[in-house]
Amino acid sequence: MIELCRSVESSSANPFDVDIREKIRLLQERLPDWKFLDELLIDSEAMLELAQIVKLQDEWLKHRASSLYIDPLLIQLKVKLLAKESLSEAFIKSWHPVAQVDQISPKGLEKAFVYWRDLSPMSERFKDQFGKHGAAPGVVDYAELVSMGAFTEQQFETTLTALMDELTSKSGGEWIDYMDFIASDSYEGRVRRSYLMAFLTSEGRATLRTEPLTGKIWLKALGEKAKAPPKSVAISLGDAE
Amino acid sequence: MTEPADKALLERKVRKAFQVLVLQRGRNPGVKGWELKRHLGRDFRAILEVLSEDVASMGLEVFEVKGAEGTDDSSRFLLRFKEPPTVSEAETSGIRIDDLAVLAATIAFVNSKQGRVSRREVEHFLREKFPKWRVEYSLDRYVKRGYLDQDDRSMVHIGWRTRAEVDEATLMTMILSRAQEAPKK
Repeated sequence: MIELCRSVESSSANPFDVDIREKIRLLQERLPDWKFLDELLIDSEAMLELAQIVKLQDEWLKHRASSLYIDPLLIQLKVKLLAKESLSEAFIKSWHPVAQVDQISPKGLEKAFVYWRDLSPMSERFKDQFGKHGAAPGVVDYAELVSMGAFTEQQFETTLTALMDELTSKSGGEWIDYMDFIASDSYEGRVRRSYLMAFLTSEGRATLRTEPLTGKIWLKALGEKAKAPPKSVAISLGDAE
Repeated sequence: MTEPADKALLERKVRKAFQVLVLQRGRNPGVKGWELKRHLGRDFRAILEVLSEDVASMGLEVFEVKGAEGTDDSSRFLLRFKEPPTVSEAETSGIRIDDLAVLAATIAFVNSKQGRVSRREVEHFLREKFPKWRVEYSLDRYVKRGYLDQDDRSMVHIGWRTRAEVDEATLMTMILSRAQEAPKK
């Protein structure tokens, strides 16, 4: 019953095809049999759907009684036969466009100005909820690290050379596991080694190979600097413990 | 109150009614009855009648679109053209003839189906005459602009804007009375 009502509601079928009297009699007969809440809920849903059909029947009658009712086949045939120009002309001749001023008033402009004037900058707006920690992600380059005091230029070169020597001795011309190589006691240490490794690979002194199926990354020191243009690869170091 | 004072008050209220009706507030044009009552008082219908006579010289009229509840409060009042524009006036306003033809055909089709028809049926009907892309684009556009209404079951109904702007009986009669023509490609 529910499905029948829904199919009528979602199509242009005649709502009088549903025999409301007979359906209500059926629901009335079955009502004493329902014992569980689920059954009663479905019963009331069926009643609701029948009420929707009665509403559609009401609209259907009103429309049919109005002067707008015309046999659909006749209209379809007429529309098919008429040229687009004739259809649009028929529309224009029965059209009374709405007249309105679609522009901002001085009062609206004033409201907009006051809103804009009192609006906090984006950096200030969500401070209450999120505090001051909301810097957008960016890139920290070598010069910035030096300026921040994380490295001095000399330290950086020395550390880079030390790491290169370590890689050469560990790999011995063979591929070694990247994650094993950058492993460190702390998360910061791992980030630091991977950051330095990025410099070595960008300079062509070491190279990387990834295995798409296992996700493993292999690393090898190069005897001679690579001449091919470097390719960018993103490596996740995981979260800090 | 003396007669000149009454006249001045009426003029002020008519002016106010014009301003309220002509300035768009919110997404849809026109003003609901309850809002006019707040601005103009309980006798707002009498003031709208005076306004309608005043704006007739400019080719406009105050028009009422009945709300679902059929009460004064739920009715929407708006200013609209008293007479339809000429075809050349409509064309110079930048409206595409093809778009209007889609709307005219859809209104006629929906009305012939007791005021509700599934979107799929409308598209199927229109595709016999218009390209697919234009059918979908135009239907979406007219739903958005209030000429058509589409419910959550994808049934298409006549929208409030059509009720406000289009004399549907005239449209149906004109479509039916037009002589058969060979459709232009």
